Amino acid sequence: MTEQTTLATLTLILRDLLGDNNIDLTLRTARDDVPGWDSFTYVNFIVAVEAEFRVKFRIADVESFSDAGAIVAAIAAGRSR
Amino acid sequence: MLFNSYIFIFGFLPPVLAVFYVLGARSREAALSWLIAASLLFYAWWRPLNILLIAPSILINYGIACYLKRIGHSNPARAQVVLIGGVVFNLCFLGYFKYIAFGEQALNDLFDAGLPLTQVILPLGISFITFQKIAFLVDVHAGRIERFTFREYALFVLFFPQIIAGPIVHYREMMPQFKVAPCRFDAEDVSVGICLFFFGLAKKLILADPLGRVIGPLYDNAASGVPQSLADAWIAALGFTLQIYFDFSGYCDMALGIARLFGIKLPVNFNSPLKARSVIDFWARWHITLTRFLTAYIYMPMTLYLMRRRAANGQPARRARDAKVATFLGLLAVPTILTMLVSGLWHGAGYTFILWGLLHGLLLCVNHAWRLIRPRIWPDTASYNRLAAPAAFMLTFLSVLFSMVLFRSPTVAGAAMLWKGMIGVYGAAMPRTILSHLGPVGGLLVQLGVQPAWTSGTMFVGAAARIGVLLFIALALPNTLELLALYQPALGVRPAGAPGRLLGFVAWKPTGTWAFSLACVALAGILSLGELHEFLYWRF
Repeated sequence: MTEQTTLATLTLILRDLLGDNNIDLTLRTARDDVPGWDSFTYVNFIVAVEAEFRVKFRIADVESFSDAGAIVAAIAAGRSR
Repeated sequence: MLFNSYIFIFGFLPPVLAVFYVLGARSREAALSWLIAASLLFYAWWRPLNILLIAPSILINYGIACYLKRIGHSNPARAQVVLIGGVVFNLCFLGYFKYIAFGEQALNDLFDAGLPLTQVILPLGISFITFQKIAFLVDVHAGRIERFTFREYALFVLFFPQIIAGPIVHYREMMPQFKVAPCRFDAEDVSVGICLFFFGLAKKLILADPLGRVIGPLYDNAASGVPQSLADAWIAALGFTLQIYFDFSGYCDMALGIARLFGIKLPVNFNSPLKARSVIDFWARWHITLTRFLTAYIYMPMTLYLMRRRAANGQPARRARDAKVATFLGLLAVPTILTMLVSGLWHGAGYTFILWGLLHGLLLCVNHAWRLIRPRIWPDTASYNRLAAPAAFMLTFLSVLFSMVLFRSPTVAGAAMLWKGMIGVYGAAMPRTILSHLGPVGGLLVQLGVQPAWTSGTMFVGAAARIGVLLFIALALPNTLELLALYQPALGVRPAGAPGRLLGFVAWKPTGTWAFSLACVALAGILSLGELHEFLYWRF
């Protein structure tokens, strides 16, 4: 799975959560860049991503993901374990 | 030592900075060691005993961190236990100094226990230092800190621009800066640092402190059971909200500025919170590093645990916006209210702070519920954002205003009395002199029920005018971070793109006009030094 495929899936999950089809994530997108992507939606998003990709992030990592790229990288690392 | 004191501005900062630059020209190690020594002096200045109180905790945390580092990869289970032990130790340390007397008082109130209240000296900045050390242990446990020496750790814990009232920083955002800091005179750092410092000083001394003198008696009277009229209650609410706004904003600017003089950028901590259009937005702008800490270490682990458990039970994590009431309460309301309860307790050991935290927890829940429901009621997000913005702003502003009364009031009963005054329960009153100056309008106001009062008309007009000016500054003007955005005044401020028309005109630049303006601000600030008022957040 390429970075872009993963990113496209993340975009779909976030669109679904926020009910906003105009969201387009890039590797540099941070939470502050997306209106409504608050802490609650973020945790909701993380759990949905874990279910989708069958990975489990560490709590410390969840807190420190700086942008979508960091989540994509953590998914790749989690799947290769 | 207060940032807003002669001794700090003329006796401490200049020599500390000069020696730092001189040493830095020869050796960064020497300059950073000097910075630690200066930080210890700064911390001990007010009460040398502070150092003796806080030093054992600093040393014990260092020991725990070293042990965590050593066993982290080889024995994860034991590392987890050590981390929990370290966090519990820090919370007990904070709990003893900050909450023991309140706990005894609460037991006496609830069970008439008759316990004598323990008198404890509260170490300066203990709430900030404790949270910072907990974050450090979590980072070491998570493997985010590769290496650290005792000197680096001491510098992180003691760095004087932020030791007493924040921002609450992470080791990972500070130490990389210390490792590459030039430790020499840099014209841009010094210009930006001085600008931030004097903006902050002026906010504190010229804008915030005079309001404190106006509103203090109103809160004391309400706490003593004296009813407050409509106008006085609103002056109390607006006055304190603006006092703490400019006090904390001023402190944050000064902390950013002092750190920048040493070539260090602190994280953004305050970003025009009164411009917020929701309570969620307010907490993303007010005391940002505290919100970040509480979200990362309390709210997120709790919510993550609850959501994972729900997902494991076969309930999908997606579609939270379609959640039923019970799910909303379990997944969102409980963690939010508990987190804000901790926030309230962190701010102070008292019933008013607990209720203030709970109130903000409830407001956040209502805000989240509206975010989930709104798309069903008003599906077009663009038109909602455009048309509902004024109402959203007003509702947020009023919520913050009412909650601030609780934050400032010495007692819950006093806050309730002011709230009643704000909704007109005790009637409206105006100084007799003002009513007589208003002529027929004054007569009409009296007919409408406004009572003439024997209070000072000059003070009334002065307070109202000051509140009006400060509201304009807080709501309509760009903030310090925006003015200095081209020079990245703080971590987390992105380099500015093309500024708007007003901002393009007023943005800070190293020009003669700005130098003159800043000199005036600095002079006004220095001339206002004298009567010492500590920053409101230094009490926490």
